[in-house]
Amino acid sequence: MRPAFPVRLGAAEETLIAQLKAAGADQVAERVTVAGLPTRRVEAYHYTDLKTLLRTVPPLAQPANEATGTAIRVPGAYALSIVNGVVQHAATAPEGVIVGKTHGGVLTHRDDTLVGISNGLTKEALSLDLRGTIDQVIQIDHRIEGEAGHVADATKIFVADDSSVVILETFSGSDAAHVGNHASYLALGKNAIVTHVTVDLGSRATAHFATNEYHLAEGAQLRTLVVHAGSGLARTHLFPRMEGAGAHADVTGLNLVSEGQHSDITMETTHAVPHTSSQPLFKSITRGRSKAVVQGKLIVARDAQKTDAKFMHQGLMLSDDAEILSKPELEIYADDVVCGHGSTCGKLDEDSLFYLLSRGIPKAEAETMLVRGFIAELIDPIEDEALNEALQGIVDGWLLGQ
Amino acid sequence: MTTPVLEIRNLHARIEEREILKGVNLVIPQGEVHAIMGRNGSGKSTLSYVLAGKEDYEVTEGEILLNGVSILEMEPDERAAAGLFLAFQYPIEIPGVATMTFLKAAINAQRKARGEGELSTPDFMRAVKEAGAQLNVDSEMLKRPLNVGFSGGEKKRAEIMQMALLKPSLAVLDETDSGLDIDALQVVSKGVNALRDGKRSMLVITHYQRLLNHIVPDVVHVFSDGRIVESGDKDLALQLEAKGYADYDGQAA
Ligand SMILES: Nc1ncnc2c1ncn2[C@@H]1O[C@H](COP(=O)(O)OP(=O)(O)O)[C@@H](O)[C@H]1O
Ligand SMILES: [Mg+2]
Repeated sequence: MRPAFPVRLGAAEETLIAQLKAAGADQVAERVTVAGLPTRRVEAYHYTDLKTLLRTVPPLAQPANEATGTAIRVPGAYALSIVNGVVQHAATAPEGVIVGKTHGGVLTHRDDTLVGISNGLTKEALSLDLRGTIDQVIQIDHRIEGEAGHVADATKIFVADDSSVVILETFSGSDAAHVGNHASYLALGKNAIVTHVTVDLGSRATAHFATNEYHLAEGAQLRTLVVHAGSGLARTHLFPRMEGAGAHADVTGLNLVSEGQHSDITMETTHAVPHTSSQPLFKSITRGRSKAVVQGKLIVARDAQKTDAKFMHQGLMLSDDAEILSKPELEIYADDVVCGHGSTCGKLDEDSLFYLLSRGIPKAEAETMLVRGFIAELIDPIEDEALNEALQGIVDGWLLGQ
Repeated sequence: MTTPVLEIRNLHARIEEREILKGVNLVIPQGEVHAIMGRNGSGKSTLSYVLAGKEDYEVTEGEILLNGVSILEMEPDERAAAGLFLAFQYPIEIPGVATMTFLKAAINAQRKARGEGELSTPDFMRAVKEAGAQLNVDSEMLKRPLNVGFSGGEKKRAEIMQMALLKPSLAVLDETDSGLDIDALQVVSKGVNALRDGKRSMLVITHYQRLLNHIVPDVVHVFSDGRIVESGDKDLALQLEAKGYADYDGQAA
């Protein structure tokens, strides 16, 4: 739909349009030309007005030679990396893992500008074919190095029937005003058991966008955990689709937001067939003047009877100046379902704090214990010990920093 | 004369503009167990919170000395490190904090504050096992988050177990008997009595005489409307049980 008045385009949009046109993504370029970046008048961007938040887009990043260390090291993990959009040569893959490359974007087309830009600009994607019980954590380390750069990169992962795997994707890079637009496409075969953790540890100047799309076949079990702990502006889309009976997804996420930061997790879970379930659970912790957003939409298709899904967002405010925003949405076309949503927001509980202090635990340590306690529900289910510890380390690091 | 473990002088305290403690005077010498009895609402828990340093209360007058040192300006954690322990009337449930993690943090924080080294993990495990065995706190309970899903009795046993591990010089037990059946009461009392060593002092708050059959006090104080109105030996508790608190009503005004 063409708006009655042409939208005034800013520097960010002009750069994007040129980059999209150069990449041959004319449709997306046209979309940005006509509508600009989404503003808060676009329902899905109501709390994250990209036109205001993203003033400039840097040039497309050039392949980088330098490789700074990875953001998190998980002992024993099989590590792969994508630097400035280029898939790096990897060490010999463990059994059951086939590493490859595909060309172009990986996401299913949808009415979303960031998704369009991802598909339009992604040149090559890292592909993984996974089969069997894979004990080693697979880590995909996305980095944007050097001068400020715009990067669109992607991973496309197929997990065979009855297979199990833990995948960690980390996002970091040099301290510059990067824009990252990352896509992950995961297809889970029948009864596959997958844990997929994505962690943003970008610099404060970075804008981090990510879209995780999941397709679950019969009996597949997915646990996702998104952690925003770095970039000044972060938005991750989670789009799980339950496509086979018995499929279940624990869709979880954590916004750790400090002074001046804005973090947004936007989920849309589709229950396409009968007898599937999902348990979306998100937490946001804010300090300073900052903003955390969680939007959660549950879509239940017309014949997807017996769907069981409950969305929950819990906020913890460590300062008075922060904003924590929740937007639950239910779009239910079946009649025999159990669906719900809830959200809570509060400060650290004074009585709990006093109890810990009264046992001799100093205030800072007691607060840390309570914050850790608040997010234990998200971290504890990550069973791989090394990964669990690494995630706990990120949270502790955030608590110590400012 | 040795310094009393606790000395409270003319203590006045208020919460939200309302005066609850109206001139408490109390001296507990080393090794003695004192009981405070009083009606619900007379201010007993308030006294225990003010001793432990809860922020909500404002001390407007008076002094509290622990082993001769004023604690009024100390934070709650500093008071704990100085030897004060409060067994809560309503222990707080803290989801997400593992009981063992909590116990270790508490023990080591206090040791650190006193300039002692951290307890090694085997020593810590041994101490917990010993204290747990005495109070029927099994390893299943210790695996749960702090106080979460504990029954009333389990919470009280866990409180006394913490006290056994933290070895305070003054323990304040606020209605430790409430919510306990007779078996649980015996376990808890046995645990408390095991910690009476001639040096440690205790302030046992209750409004039933029953507990004092098990934990026999050296001195009994009657608390009414924010102050101590009478003191005596353990027989005073029996008189109170027979006659009730009616005699003391209005006396404090
Ligand atoms: N947070 C509070 N705000 C106002 N009044 C309070 C608060 N807590 C306790 N009180 C009042 O203080 C008085 C003493 O309470 P408390 O110390 O709990 O008595 P006890 O332990 O003897 O039953 C009661 O009248 C109670 O209502
Ligand atoms: Mg009370």
